[in-house]
Amino acid sequence: MATPAQQLPQGWEAEWDANNQRYLFIETATGRTQWEPPVDQGIQPQYSENAPGAAEQPVHHGKRRQYAAGQTQAYYGGGESSLDPGYLAGTAAQPGGAQLFTPGLVGENQFASQQTQAAPAPGQAPQYYAPTEPEYINAPGFQQQPAYGQPVDNLANQFGQMGLAGQKQFQLYTTNLLTSPPDPRDLHIPPPEIRLPPNASVSPSPTANADPSYQRSTLNAIPTTSSLLGKAKIPLALILTPYRSLKEGDEPVPVITDTVIARCRRCRTYINPYVQFIDGGNRWRCCMCNMTNEVPQLFDWDQVRNQPGDRWARAELNHSVVEFVAPTEYMVRPPQPAVYIFLIDVSNAAVSTGMVATATRTIKENLDRIPDEDGRTKVAIICFDVSLYFFSLPQGTTEPTMLVVSDIDDVFLPKPNDLLVNLAESRESVENLLDKIGNMFQDNHIIGSALGPALQAGFKLMSPIGGKIMVLSSSLPSAGAGALKNREDPKILGTSKESGLLQAAVPFYKTFAIECSRAQVSVDMFLFSASYQDVATLACLPHYTSGQTYYYPAFNAVRSEDAIKFAHEFGEVLAMPIMLEAVMRVRASRGLRMSSFHGNFFVRSTDLLAMPAVPQDQSYAIEIQIEETISTPFVVFQTAVLHTTCYGERRIRVVTQALPTTSSLSEVFASADQVAIATFFANKAVERSLTHKLEDSRDFIHKTLIDILIAYKTSMTSGGAGASGQLAISDNMKMLPVLVLGLLKNVGIRQSTQIPPDLRAYAQALLTSMPSQLLIPYLYPTFYALHNMPPEAGTIGEHGVVLPPPLPLTSERLERHGLYLIEDGQTMFLWVGRDAVEALVRDVFDLPGYETLRGGKTTLRVLDNPFSERINAIIQKIREMRRGPYYPHLYIVKEDGEPPLRLWALSALIQDRADVLPSYQQFLSTLREKVNGAGGGGY
Amino acid sequence: MGAGWLFLFAVLYSAGLLFGMVFFVIMFSDLESDYINPIDLCNKLNQFVLPEYGAHAFLSILFLLFGQWTAFLWNVPLLAYNGNKVFKKNHMYDATEIFRTLGGHQKETYFKLAFYLLSFFYYLYRMIVALVAENP
Repeated sequence: MATPAQQLPQGWEAEWDANNQRYLFIETATGRTQWEPPVDQGIQPQYSENAPGAAEQPVHHGKRRQYAAGQTQAYYGGGESSLDPGYLAGTAAQPGGAQLFTPGLVGENQFASQQTQAAPAPGQAPQYYAPTEPEYINAPGFQQQPAYGQPVDNLANQFGQMGLAGQKQFQLYTTNLLTSPPDPRDLHIPPPEIRLPPNASVSPSPTANADPSYQRSTLNAIPTTSSLLGKAKIPLALILTPYRSLKEGDEPVPVITDTVIARCRRCRTYINPYVQFIDGGNRWRCCMCNMTNEVPQLFDWDQVRNQPGDRWARAELNHSVVEFVAPTEYMVRPPQPAVYIFLIDVSNAAVSTGMVATATRTIKENLDRIPDEDGRTKVAIICFDVSLYFFSLPQGTTEPTMLVVSDIDDVFLPKPNDLLVNLAESRESVENLLDKIGNMFQDNHIIGSALGPALQAGFKLMSPIGGKIMVLSSSLPSAGAGALKNREDPKILGTSKESGLLQAAVPFYKTFAIECSRAQVSVDMFLFSASYQDVATLACLPHYTSGQTYYYPAFNAVRSEDAIKFAHEFGEVLAMPIMLEAVMRVRASRGLRMSSFHGNFFVRSTDLLAMPAVPQDQSYAIEIQIEETISTPFVVFQTAVLHTTCYGERRIRVVTQALPTTSSLSEVFASADQVAIATFFANKAVERSLTHKLEDSRDFIHKTLIDILIAYKTSMTSGGAGASGQLAISDNMKMLPVLVLGLLKNVGIRQSTQIPPDLRAYAQALLTSMPSQLLIPYLYPTFYALHNMPPEAGTIGEHGVVLPPPLPLTSERLERHGLYLIEDGQTMFLWVGRDAVEALVRDVFDLPGYETLRGGKTTLRVLDNPFSERINAIIQKIREMRRGPYYPHLYIVKEDGEPPLRLWALSALIQDRADVLPSYQQFLSTLREKVNGAGGGGY
Repeated sequence: MGAGWLFLFAVLYSAGLLFGMVFFVIMFSDLESDYINPIDLCNKLNQFVLPEYGAHAFLSILFLLFGQWTAFLWNVPLLAYNGNKVFKKNHMYDATEIFRTLGGHQKETYFKLAFYLLSFFYYLYRMIVALVAENP
């Protein structure tokens, strides 16, 4: 099969979008993107790769099995018959959708090609972001839309096409939210292009600016004054994931090994592609503070070959994300080894649920994966119930000795050495110990947990070195320091007092976190309790020590799904190559100041974030203030993370991002990145729910959205007749309202009297630490119809398993005979309609019929039929495609099954009304009322 | 006789509190300009929070005992404010939150500074009035 790239008209590129499983077509001259293949005049569109060619089609027909429900609908393959004309007609014109050359589709193809014709002719100035939403072309109301609010834009386009426009501008396209329903695929459109002035970068390399997965800004054009920013009402913030993991196919971060680190004398900025070389290349001018600096002598020297090197080939001048190997000036002490201490709860609750057994087995199985390239990694295991159990693993014997400390008020280490052992040297004893722990405590009837003292013991053991403490706890801490009371009170849920339950109950976990941060100790919490465990308080510890909280409510290893999920996630965390002893600082061009920080770290000084151990794929949000008028054509943000790798090398990871500045309000709107804004809102909402109340945090987000809409309406639309029937927003932000609705309906924020505080606290921990890639589906889950998915879905395509097209999140899409998958990155629901035909149930679940099917957590076996294989492939793909250690549970939900599970699954369909929470339509109409009410003027 | 001595004592006392607040202000600006880390700052300042509240409360009670109603009423709002903070257990500085709440802390400290300064002059005036009244 030919790739689409080979069949594109001149000036177009096809880029595979892994999230969306389809090609994104990019016009190289303008940066315009669209999902449907571009069409040259006179050339019929050719679909390939994803859309099987016409020749293959009959084969599919031959193999296709029909599961008639009612009369004609087929549950898979025969997608055309059950495609909803309103929504999917447009998709049919895209690769992946078009299987049959039906008369209707021909018409649409022609229509699509008409839409695209105008653009790609060479020499013409660009239309940025031209019609990217073909699916709306067929939506009712679209036809009228072009007339609305765009006369100026149209005029600008015409000028643009006449070649008068000069420098490329962000072109603003207004969308009416009321007539354009949200399309899940729009979430995967890359953020508005960063259009730097020519010659901003010394390198022509495409990697000279940071990838959005490392660092993205809510605005890709920075307003020059704070009053301009204030007019747009869009928050200015950076979303950082400096230690992003590398998936297959990702380019590794280049490492600069010669320890020549050129930095600005004044502002300490690292040299990057946006500096200017002057004086014939002997000096460089800092891009942030304009200071002139000497170029270091060895900068042009290739130390490996010991000969003059090519400066322009240096990685720091060509890549936005680089790692410098740091010389001794950057070290307070020699690089520390990685240290892992496991604190395992062995109280009755932990043993009887099988947590201890699963945990010890997982640790044992993953001993090889724990980063230990240099053989220096140390481990220790401490068990605790109301006493502490230390294990001494002396050299020369593999028999561990248990030392019990029952004095938990004044914790001491029973032995000065042999408790913390070198993993490589004592491998056998560690394995032997892990084998035995399960048996040792299998009849432990002690109830209660001395988590606080256990933490103190672990801290004492590792504080000279620092490292990671992994806590596995199944019960509420009840003894010694840090004991907690059950403060869960169903009566105050949903009231204004609820936010008190989300704050730390006792100061112990905060003060201890500060001690840990000082001693470079990071804590990860794995919590398993079936009853109240005060996740909110315990999560403080990971929060301030750059760890992470993992919560498995009502864990029971008897259910293999629970065991698999925990073992998988725990294994991933163990195998993660962590950054030790890290500090992070973000520098920005003059006039910009980092004003507040959100995420898991401790703020050690006004702009220095202390992170004892940085896990991969953790995201941070930083609010930015514009303090003085910016006069430069572009600004630079640089994140530097000084850290020790887990194999003992001091390094600095530097992420540089340059963004153009603008003094035009329309460019500010046109450059807004809805995904980054939503990520920032999630952080802000959680912060406000802790400092104020949950209602306040919801109101705050809601109000910010309204302010943005009002600002847009008053400044960007003519506001004339018919304006009150509109809710206008720029095209690149049209998913923002639905994301905000998703956030308002998220477990962490939602108004409800039913959500246990533990689940809320955990959801909040996720909201503030997940990178956009995981967060966006958490806010706006993905919804697939499996019974009528296109034939290539679930099969291996060029880039792995092809996913079906996502549907909008509304139960209107649920058909009674259907099979659906709803997933938010943390949980997956397999929704089975009540009229599901027997053949479907048999093919997927190996059961005789819908009645025998049981809802709940499950593992889907791969059966010997293509449909089952495809569904399993899709589930597998969903579990693997995102970064992060999470392994979502799969629940079978029957349409008439147990109400709690059904309601839970339905709560993921955020465009529907649920209790007091509005549907998307209602949400939009309240927005419209607020916006038009405040807009004044005439109406 | 008593009033003169009481206000003399109050003058010295409020001068002490005044210097205490100046110390707080200096510490906060040190934190802002990165001369001290938040952990040390909070450990240092937290030692002085309750003594300061206590000292202020002690002075107010002295006024009450001596029947100096105006002076007592002048101090009541701050007394109530401090009492409320202690009651809600948020009187201590929290190193994890300090940068977010710094603006508020600074405002509060400046306000107290102004309050003690005004008190100082008021007590001085009352002291002079009392002394003049005693020795005509």
